[in-house]
Amino acid sequence: MNKINIFIVEDNAIFRMTLKADIEITFANKPIIVTLFETGETCMEKFKEIKPQIVILDYHLNGSNPNAADGIKILDLIKRENPETNVIMLTSDDSTEIALKSFHHGAYDYVVKTETKFRKINYSVFNLFTMMEAKKETKRYKYMVVSLFVFVSLLVGGLSALQIFSPSILR
Amino acid sequence: MTTNELNNQAANICDLTELKEMMGGKNNLILGMIDTFLGQIREELLSINGAIEKINYPVIKNFAHTMKSTVSIMGIVILRPILQEMENLAAHTEGIEKIKELNHELNLGCKKAIEEMESERQNYI
Repeated sequence: MNKINIFIVEDNAIFRMTLKADIEITFANKPIIVTLFETGETCMEKFKEIKPQIVILDYHLNGSNPNAADGIKILDLIKRENPETNVIMLTSDDSTEIALKSFHHGAYDYVVKTETKFRKINYSVFNLFTMMEAKKETKRYKYMVVSLFVFVSLLVGGLSALQIFSPSILR
Repeated sequence: MTTNELNNQAANICDLTELKEMMGGKNNLILGMIDTFLGQIREELLSINGAIEKINYPVIKNFAHTMKSTVSIMGIVILRPILQEMENLAAHTEGIEKIKELNHELNLGCKKAIEEMESERQNYI
C-alpha cells in the first residue's frame, strides 16, 4: 500500500510533537508517515527526496530563530519543487490578510491556532485524504474508459479489415 | 490574575485533561511531552527575560507569541492573556514597564507550572 508522507514544519517543539501524536492516533488506520522539522530549511532538504503529499506549515517560522525563513517563503519553495504537495498553513493570527496571502501563494487550507486547532487540522487532513482517494478513483475510471475505448476500436477496426480483405470469413 | 493570586492559588494551574485525551492515555507520549515542556519553557523564559532586559521589542514579541502555543497545550490558560498583552505591547514597541510587570507574573506562573509538571511526571515513569 502506498504510504502517505506528512511533513510538519513548526518551530515550537511541544506543538509539533503534540500535533504528530494527534495525527498518528486520529488516522491510525491510514498508511501515514509523519516527519517533524523545526525550520523550513531542514524541511526543504528532505522535501526534494521524499516529495510528501501533505505539509503542515507554520506561518511564523522565525520566532525562535530570526534567521530562519518564514512560512510563505517555504510555501513558495514547496510549490516550485512540487506543485502537487498540499500545504496546510498554521498561524496564531486571525487575519484575513494572512489567510489571503497563504491562499494566493498556493496553500490548500489555513488554520488559526485557537482552542480547537487540533480538531481543525485533523478535519483539513481528513478532507485531503478524501480528495486524494477521489483523484485515485477518477484515474482508475479514466484508465478503464480508455482501455474499453481502445478495445472497442481494435474490435471494430479488426472486423472492418476482415470484411474488406476476407469477406467470406464473416458469412 | 494578579501576583498575589498566583502565589496563593492552591489549585493547579496546568490542566493536562485535553492533552491526555489527545495522546489516547499513552503514558510514554505524555511523559515525552512533559519532558519537552520542562526543557522548552525554561529556555523560552530565559530568552524572554533577556530580551526584556535589553528592551528588544521584536524578540519579546516573538517569544511571547511562541510561548502562547506552549502554555496552551499544557492547559496553562491563565498565562495566555498575559502573553497576548506582552505580544501586543511589544508589537507596538511601547510599554516596557507594563511588559516587565506582566513578565513578573509570567515568571511566577511558569515557576508554578514547572513545579507541577516535575511532580506530575513521576506518575508516568
